[in-house]
This record gives sequence, C-alpha cells and structure tokens, in this order.
Amino acid sequence: MSDKPAITMREVTKAFRLCPKGGRTLKALALEWVRSRRGRRVFHALDKVSFDVMPGETLGIIGANGSGKSTLLSIAAGAMTPSSGTVTARGTVSSLLELGAGFHPDLTGRENVFLYGAIMGLSRRTMIRRFDAIVDFAGIASHIDQPVRHYSSGMVVRLGFSVAVEVDPDILLVDEALAVGDADFQAKCLNKMREFKRRGKTMLMVSHDLSAIQAISDRILLLDQGKVLGVGDAEGMVGRYRVLAARQGAAAGQAREWGTGEIRIEDVIFSDGTGARTDTFRWGESLTAEIRWRAATRVENPVFGFSVSDRDGRLLYGNNTQIEGFAVPQAEGEGRVRFTLHPLCLGTGAYLFSFSVHSPDHKTNYHRLDHRFPIAVEADKATAGPCYMPCRWSGAQP
Amino acid sequence: MRGFFGELCERKELLAILIARNIKIRYKNSALGFFWTLLAPLFMIAIYSVFARIMRWNLGREDFLPFLVVGIVVWQYLAMSLNDSLSAISGNANLIKKTAFPRHILPVSTVLANGVNFLLTFAVLLVFLLIVKADFQALWTLPLVLATHAALCLGLALAFSAASVFFRDTEHAVGVGLLAWFFMSPVFYSMDLQMAILPERLSAAVYLNPMSGILSAYRFALMSEPIAGGESVWLSFAVAWALLPAGLGLFRATEKRFADEL
Repeated sequence: MSDKPAITMREVTKAFRLCPKGGRTLKALALEWVRSRRGRRVFHALDKVSFDVMPGETLGIIGANGSGKSTLLSIAAGAMTPSSGTVTARGTVSSLLELGAGFHPDLTGRENVFLYGAIMGLSRRTMIRRFDAIVDFAGIASHIDQPVRHYSSGMVVRLGFSVAVEVDPDILLVDEALAVGDADFQAKCLNKMREFKRRGKTMLMVSHDLSAIQAISDRILLLDQGKVLGVGDAEGMVGRYRVLAARQGAAAGQAREWGTGEIRIEDVIFSDGTGARTDTFRWGESLTAEIRWRAATRVENPVFGFSVSDRDGRLLYGNNTQIEGFAVPQAEGEGRVRFTLHPLCLGTGAYLFSFSVHSPDHKTNYHRLDHRFPIAVEADKATAGPCYMPCRWSGAQP
Repeated sequence: MRGFFGELCERKELLAILIARNIKIRYKNSALGFFWTLLAPLFMIAIYSVFARIMRWNLGREDFLPFLVVGIVVWQYLAMSLNDSLSAISGNANLIKKTAFPRHILPVSTVLANGVNFLLTFAVLLVFLLIVKADFQALWTLPLVLATHAALCLGLALAFSAASVFFRDTEHAVGVGLLAWFFMSPVFYSMDLQMAILPERLSAAVYLNPMSGILSAYRFALMSEPIAGGESVWLSFAVAWALLPAGLGLFRATEKRFADEL
C-alpha cells in the first residue's frame, strides 16, 4: 500500500456566483458588467478546505444541510472545479452520488449500466464480465431490460449502488447511500462497504445517519458553513457535531435569558474528569460546570441551580444549591460556584443545560439562562431514551 | 484541437454508447422506430413533388425537385444538430454534476447521432437521385463536403450547447436565427439569385455564409450543378472549418462552470 494519500485537498474553495435579484436579466447582466468582478455577490460553499485521505481509509463527512458536503464530494469526483485550491485523487473514482440519478429514464437498466461503465472509463468487455454480478447484487434480474422509468425508486437506488460498487474503483464516494433502500438492502450496502474497506479501498462518505457513519468511518471531517471545524476520530467528531447542532437549535429559538439582574451569570465553563475544558462528555465519567457570576448589589442567600433538557427542550433533570444543602450565604462582587455530576448518566445524544440564580423562596429570579449551553454525550452502549442508568442483569442458569 | 480528437478517440466506447442512446431516445415509444429515418425523407420527397407540381413552382428548371430535396436534406442535418445541441449539456445535468468525463463528448455525440440519421436519409436521397437524375460525375468531392458540413454542425453545436447552460435565451435565439439563416441560404433557390442581389464585385461575399458554399458543393457533387462564383466557394469552406475551433474554444472556456450553473 502506498504511503501517498489517495485524496488530497489543499485550501479548496468553491464560490458560487449568486444570481442577481429577479434572475439573470439583460439589465442585471449589464449592471454586473459595469460593477465588474468586485461587485459580484458570491456564496462560499467551501472555504479553504484541506485534508488528506490515506489509501484504505474511510473518511466520513458530517455537517448540517448546506454545510458544503455534497459540493465537497462533487469536487472530489472531478465533476466540479474548485474556484481555488488543488485536488488530487490517485486511482479511479466512482461516485455513489444520489444513487441512480444519472440514469436515463427511457433507457433500460442494461443500457444504463453500460452507459455508467463507459462514463467511468471501463471497457465494454469488462462491463460484460461484471454485468451479472451487478444485476445479482441489485436483485432486479427480471426488470433489467425494462426502461428505468418503470422501476420503483428502490430499484433505481439498488441498481445505482450496485453499478457504482461493481465498477470496482480505487476510491468510492458515497452520498447518503444509507438513507435509501429498505433495511435489508441497507444491510447489504453496509456489508459491501465493509468488504470494500477490507480490500484496502478508499472511501469518502457523507451521511446524516450519525451512528452509521461513525461505525464505518476511520476518521470524520466536520463541516460547518463551508469550513472544516475539525478532522479526527469518529466518536469525537460526531460529539462535536451534536453540540454544534444543539447550539444551532438553541440559537433557533429555545434559548432565553431573563431575570431582575441583581446577580448575573457571566459564563459557565464545562470540563471533564481531567479538568480539560470541553463540551463533549462520555457516559459514566464526570462533568463539572463552573458558574461565574457577578453581583451588582449585595444579595443574601442566593440559590444557584441548573437543569438538563433534551434537544427539544424537555426537562430531564434539575438540581440546585438549596436542594443539596450547599449554602451560599451572600453574594457580592464576583465569584464562582461549581458542581460535578459523576457518574454522568445520560445516553448518547445532545443536551441543553440551563442555569439560574434566584431567591430562596423562588419569588425573585435574578438571572436565568434557559437552554443556552449544549453538550454532547457519547455512551458505550446504544440504550433507549436520554437516561442511561448503570444496569446489571443476573439470574440463575436454567 | 489535438486534445479534442485525442479525448474522443480515448473515450470512443462512451461516445458510441452516447450516440446509440441519442438515437434510441429519439425513437422511444414509436412502433416504427428506426424506420422513420427512412420513411421521413420518402414522405418529404412525395409531399414536395406533389406541391411543387400543383403550385407550378420550379424556378424554371426541369430538375427542380431533386434540387430542392438535396437542399432540404442537407439543411435538416444542420437544423436538427443545432436543435439537439441546446439540450446536450443542460439535459444531462445529473451526469455533469456527479461524474467526471470530457464534457464535449455530449454535444459531439448529438451531432454524430444526427449524422447517422443524415447518412441514412442520404442513402434514400441517392436512390431517389439515381431514379430521377443521376449525374454523379463529381461524386468524388462528396467526402470533403460531408466533412465540412459536419465540422460546421460540430462547431456551432459546441457553442450553442455551452451557451444554453448559461442563457435559456439561446433556445429562442437559435430558433429565430435558423429561420433567418434558412432563407438566407440557397435551399429552395439557386446561388445565382442570391448573387444577383449584390453588386458584382461583392458577389463572392455570399459565400461568407458557410451554408451557401456547402449547399452549392453538395449540388455539384450529386447533380453536377456548376458552382456559381467558382473559386469563391472555398470561402464558405474556410468559414465552416474556422467555426469548429471557435466553438470548441468557447466550450472549453466555459465547461468548468457547467456543474455550477446546472
């Protein structure tokens, strides 16, 4: 196996020119001409993206809708040209981009298979050899000589996956392949991809199915608005993405700040068991949150509290200094108060923390930050629900 | 230009499949299918012969019908190639956006698929000419004429296929342009008529229209009809061949943006 990367991207930027308001009319074109290149409105789908994929490695790409994942794959496939930066792919590339979308509806399955093979640069003879395997894997032997427009959407997808895999490329690009097809076929696809990995092939895949992509990727690249937020081990990146998604969800309307203002919560710092600052945690380990407050006047007996809710804002757990009997006699100037949750009994997912400081009788809320602090939790097992209580089974052997 | 033909040779299997695809799609859902390629010119010849007789439309020539049919068959290759080229790129958005292959194969395949059609029609035409007016003394010039005709179609198809990605107006402009061009070309009148309009010293300028020369040359090859203006016909050939690199240049300059625009 070569030690040179199979795919290299360096500072890849893709800018799209936005259509002028009201479409591309003669007037708009004339204006664009007058304003010259500087005045053009552009949208950066990708912004200085750099990464390497080594031969035999599977790189997953995750990110919200519109973060540039599909553009990235189109560029890797060579279908799109970057505005700047360089892309190198060593070996043949086959793309599973929108499975079967390149099929012509008026041609038969057989004709489309040969067309796709020819586009990938395979000789007719090679395609004839592989044809049976393609049809077999897709499981549509009885329909192969029917025009594709008579296929069900599942059949199109199956044939698309099958032909893209069976052309046996060095590099396979997969876009949302797992979101389609029935459970049976999905399992077949996953198997095929694992087999691909075993044979030392390189894969670049995009999916919104976080657990599937985490399972199959060696590393994951996290994209946000065209920028690389990080490339790293699958688990860590999925966690970061969950936090990001929760933060964006929080920003989208659940977050709220209110209170009378005698004491204000300036910031909250989350850290793990080693004391390192983070917003991604593991089940069973510890979570420490440090609340940094500032009091405008002297306040007697303030109560500090927090709560955890799921991404939809449903309350899961809440606690405060009063319940736990931790006395804060008075607050003046600025200070810190912290708590540790150990072990952390949340299942895999993203959660929102809320913080509050209020009077002992709950009548005055000095300051409340609702759903403002997202965290992600990774658990070792896929338990159901947000809460993961340690559980041990036992029983007599029959 | 070398890269252009080099890539076509390299991907000849893809080109062949795309040509076959274009032909198949044209006859999808038709019972007679490929026979239409032969039937259509037969019907056309029949219709023109009936109406030319009824309207006493003959330009004072005895061989008006073969003269007209040659013109129309030749014109149709150009018209159909250009019409199909409009969707050569924009009609294959999914392939363009998702896969990498030399883009010019698409317009080339539409021109060649129409070329297959044209040659079959041409075969019918030759049989017809054998029956009514066989004069194939100059038939040896035909390959050059065919090649020039194809080069013209190819150059324009490359340009229009690229232009229609960026401007839907191309479709309308080509429709109107082809109609005007049809009447400016000696399809159903002879070159002498066209030349008579211009002052004598400028008469060679009619050959700036590449179709003027190409139509005259076809009639020379198939009917031994003398070419009006003689040598100046080469002007048309030069224009037709010059349009190929020009069209290809436009195509190459814009092809990187196809995937963005579609």
